[in-house]
Amino acid sequence: MKHFLMGLMLFVFGYHHAQNCNFTLLGEVKDFHDGAAITAANIYIKQLDRYIISDLDGKFKLEELCKGEITLVISHIGCETKTITIDISGDTFKSIDLEHHIEELNEVAVTGNRVVKITKTAQETLLKTETIEQYSHLSLGDALKEVSGVSSINTGNSIVKPMINGLHSSRLLILNNNVRLQDQEWGIEHAPNIDINSADQISVIKGAGALIYGGDAIGGVIVIKPRKIIRKDSLYGKTILGGQTNGRGYHISSSLNKSFQSGWFANVQASLKQNGDFEAPDYNLTNTGVQSQSFSIHTGKRLFESGFELYYSYIDNEIGILRSSHIGNVNNLIEIINSGQPPIIRGFSYDIDNPRQEVTHHLLKATYFKRFKNFGKVNLQYDYQKNNRLEFDIRRGELRNEAALDLELQTHTLLADVNLDSNLNKKMNFGVLLRYQDNFAPNTGVRRLIPNYEKYDFGTYITSEWRINDNLLIDAGLRYDFNRVDALKFYRITRWNERGYNEDFADIIVPPAEGEDFGTDLLANPVFDFHNISASIGVKYDLNSKNYIIANYSLASRPPNPAELFSDGLHHSAARIELGDLRLDPEIANRLSMTYVYTDTNFNLNVDTFYNTINDYMYLRPTGVQQSNRGAFPVWEYEQTNARLFGVDLTLSYDFTDQFNWLNKTAFIKGYDSRDLPLIDIPAFSTFNKITYTNENWYNFSASLQSEWVFEQNEFPDFNFETNNPSTGEFVLLDISTPPPAYHLFHFYSESTFALSERTSLSIALGINNLFDTSYRNYLNRLRFFADDLGRNITLQLKLNY
Amino acid sequence: MNTNKSNFKTMKTIFLNINAMKTTKFLLGAVLCFSLFLTSCSDDDDGGTPEQPNEEEVITDVTLTLTNITDTNDVVELKSVDPDGEDGPTAPTITITGNFTAGATYTGVMDLFNSIEMEDITEEVTVTEPDEHFFTYAISGLDISFSRSANDIVRMDGNKLGFETTWVVANNPGTGNITVQLWHESETVDDSNELGTQTGGEPDVDLTFTGVTIQ
Repeated sequence: MKHFLMGLMLFVFGYHHAQNCNFTLLGEVKDFHDGAAITAANIYIKQLDRYIISDLDGKFKLEELCKGEITLVISHIGCETKTITIDISGDTFKSIDLEHHIEELNEVAVTGNRVVKITKTAQETLLKTETIEQYSHLSLGDALKEVSGVSSINTGNSIVKPMINGLHSSRLLILNNNVRLQDQEWGIEHAPNIDINSADQISVIKGAGALIYGGDAIGGVIVIKPRKIIRKDSLYGKTILGGQTNGRGYHISSSLNKSFQSGWFANVQASLKQNGDFEAPDYNLTNTGVQSQSFSIHTGKRLFESGFELYYSYIDNEIGILRSSHIGNVNNLIEIINSGQPPIIRGFSYDIDNPRQEVTHHLLKATYFKRFKNFGKVNLQYDYQKNNRLEFDIRRGELRNEAALDLELQTHTLLADVNLDSNLNKKMNFGVLLRYQDNFAPNTGVRRLIPNYEKYDFGTYITSEWRINDNLLIDAGLRYDFNRVDALKFYRITRWNERGYNEDFADIIVPPAEGEDFGTDLLANPVFDFHNISASIGVKYDLNSKNYIIANYSLASRPPNPAELFSDGLHHSAARIELGDLRLDPEIANRLSMTYVYTDTNFNLNVDTFYNTINDYMYLRPTGVQQSNRGAFPVWEYEQTNARLFGVDLTLSYDFTDQFNWLNKTAFIKGYDSRDLPLIDIPAFSTFNKITYTNENWYNFSASLQSEWVFEQNEFPDFNFETNNPSTGEFVLLDISTPPPAYHLFHFYSESTFALSERTSLSIALGINNLFDTSYRNYLNRLRFFADDLGRNITLQLKLNY
Repeated sequence: MNTNKSNFKTMKTIFLNINAMKTTKFLLGAVLCFSLFLTSCSDDDDGGTPEQPNEEEVITDVTLTLTNITDTNDVVELKSVDPDGEDGPTAPTITITGNFTAGATYTGVMDLFNSIEMEDITEEVTVTEPDEHFFTYAISGLDISFSRSANDIVRMDGNKLGFETTWVVANNPGTGNITVQLWHESETVDDSNELGTQTGGEPDVDLTFTGVTIQ
């Protein structure tokens, strides 16, 4: 029996051998993106249970192979392991591509929390997930204030617009998952429509250095990224649940992520938030409730060489505006300012009455990318956004439940981007953008603040990055943008003539069709074309392992936005008439920046300095008073000046011991116009100091005390004027310029994390904002004329990771 | 032989690409369909001429007509006309027709009109929404005893609207000013001093007529 078996085996083996077992496989292991040989790759031959190693040229040889399939598992340090099956039917040559620079190419997250900067020579700061989670109950604008030099311009406490180095609105680009947000960002009381809980990482880039996103980022770029895809079989999620005393609010946000080794993935995320009326230390802020719902879905297949993804997000925000901020005329405003507190103070309520905003935003994106050997990566993207903004005012009659402002903005964008990274020392990136936008404003019974318009954009850019040596890196970019705005707007004939448009723009009047009569109005069809050039050049130099400096020059150009061109009407919360100007030219910024970074184990320092000159800077300034049956209204017109802004942002962190850390963030900025007068709405000097105690042994316990000290802005343009009070017949001063006094607030925050099982953990965080319930007003809050800012707020947040 | 192999490999790559392209095409198609679906949600077709704005809330003509209770031909009319509304650049034209007769008593009635939409606002204020409105008056330099008429409209809270008023002119000639304000959505209103006081409202009308004469 034994002999028989041996005989059989010999026969089988011998038969095989005699037939086909003299084939050779020659293999070559190469780096995918630049074709370089990979030395010492480990090749495991499954069928033979044998290992061999590639030689200096990346080659290896397997001899005496039999006909049939063999499976090779190729691995190398720093590369993704690759398994391939080869059909052997003769002598075979096989070239195998591994990707050695997978991390440098920013393709795959090695850990869940790896953060990568987008730019090399711009002033960029990253906010990580842990920081963002602390702001789960707040907004994007609140979270961004973690960055030194970033402040916000607010309308109350729920409408928070980020401000980078004194610039905001259309001067900032916000990218949500590589889609430039198109959400009527021209409006100062239009907060970005983003759920902070959908962000996993946020990059704040000061200035226009990141040209691939746009050439008009005079203030900067905010890049929001969702969670990175991990290519392995996994299922995990996160739920944040919280409540707060001020506003008696709650919030819940949950996300679930499923990924597969095959590259497929699907993430879903949803949030719900509600707050009632907030409280200042001395009174209720009536009608300041907020309700917000959002969700997003992210799915696709992502491999190293190619991939596609689909992303859809939806957000619906309903925001109450302080009731007392809706005013009738200038005397009404003076009375409220002088009384020092809001005239309407009611009991707590969750109800959101008029005035209020309701904004919904849809964002849909599809991308496909493919990576080519020895070349780089090609990325194609289409995105669609639909933003609907409804603003409800205090109105009379049947119109009280109708929105006074109703704007529907739809945007389609096509983007093609090529990233040549086969030579990591000399990367190049270029692309083309096509965009079509349509704004539709139905008749609401109030003159349209923004008319119907169509906008066409074309953009093309090229950026490049050279690593000269280990210490020196240079990058540069150039971009061209074309914009066309084609609007149809009804002007009141009296206004048209008062603006002087009857002389300059007589040719754009559209005559009424036969049988039509526009009465006291005329219809105009302004079409404007803008050509914009932007550029950037920067250098990063490592002095040694602890110090580096970066310097950057950028040129940015921003055409006037629809508000600047077309505004024409009464703005209730400001009790002023705002007038755009069809004659405005694009503003052009030249920004020089320099950063010094020192990094050590227990001491870190980052100093950002900048000097930004903006020619034809567009801003609103008061030009007079206009009388009506409702009383007088100040008139504010868009004008242009040559502005310059400069400042220093400091971030400093020092570990006294393993457990105590001191963090300081200080921002100093000045801004002047061409007559050396201060610019309006420039943030005052501010300094934040935080002492944190951390003890990892106590369930990762940490507690911090933060001091927020904002000085009084003593440089401001004096736009005050006197107006006649008809009731008394006296002239009274309307003080809309003087900034409120300095304030100093303290905040407390503590957190602990408990491991519930190997894969689940629970974090509990307790925070107290405005610890001493200090009354204060912020210069950059547009409702500062009417009411104090928020009083003490105690927040409790539970976070479950699973 | 190597060429053969690489050909085969190229073919395989192409095949894979086709697969990937199919998926991509399918997905792009799906995305386009979805955006079309979203786009079609827009309720209106926005091509062509936009609808001309109708301005239903504007008060262009404010008139306070004061009629002598004993002589209907003795009328004082205080009128302000702002044909292009509150945000139009034209200032209102204020006209004062007639003089008060010393010693006489007048009944004042307000009239509000929107000449842009040819709409009667008086009815809206007095009939539809009297509880959300309140007139207040101020008289300076004129010896007039002012009160809200007995048949003035009474709000739900018991305060008189101030739509119909009684002006008892003293035997004392002079020239002075009359202010008329119409408040919308006041927090509190009070007619106990007849001229009226309020808090928290915003003015729909805020006009002062200067140079009114008693002779």
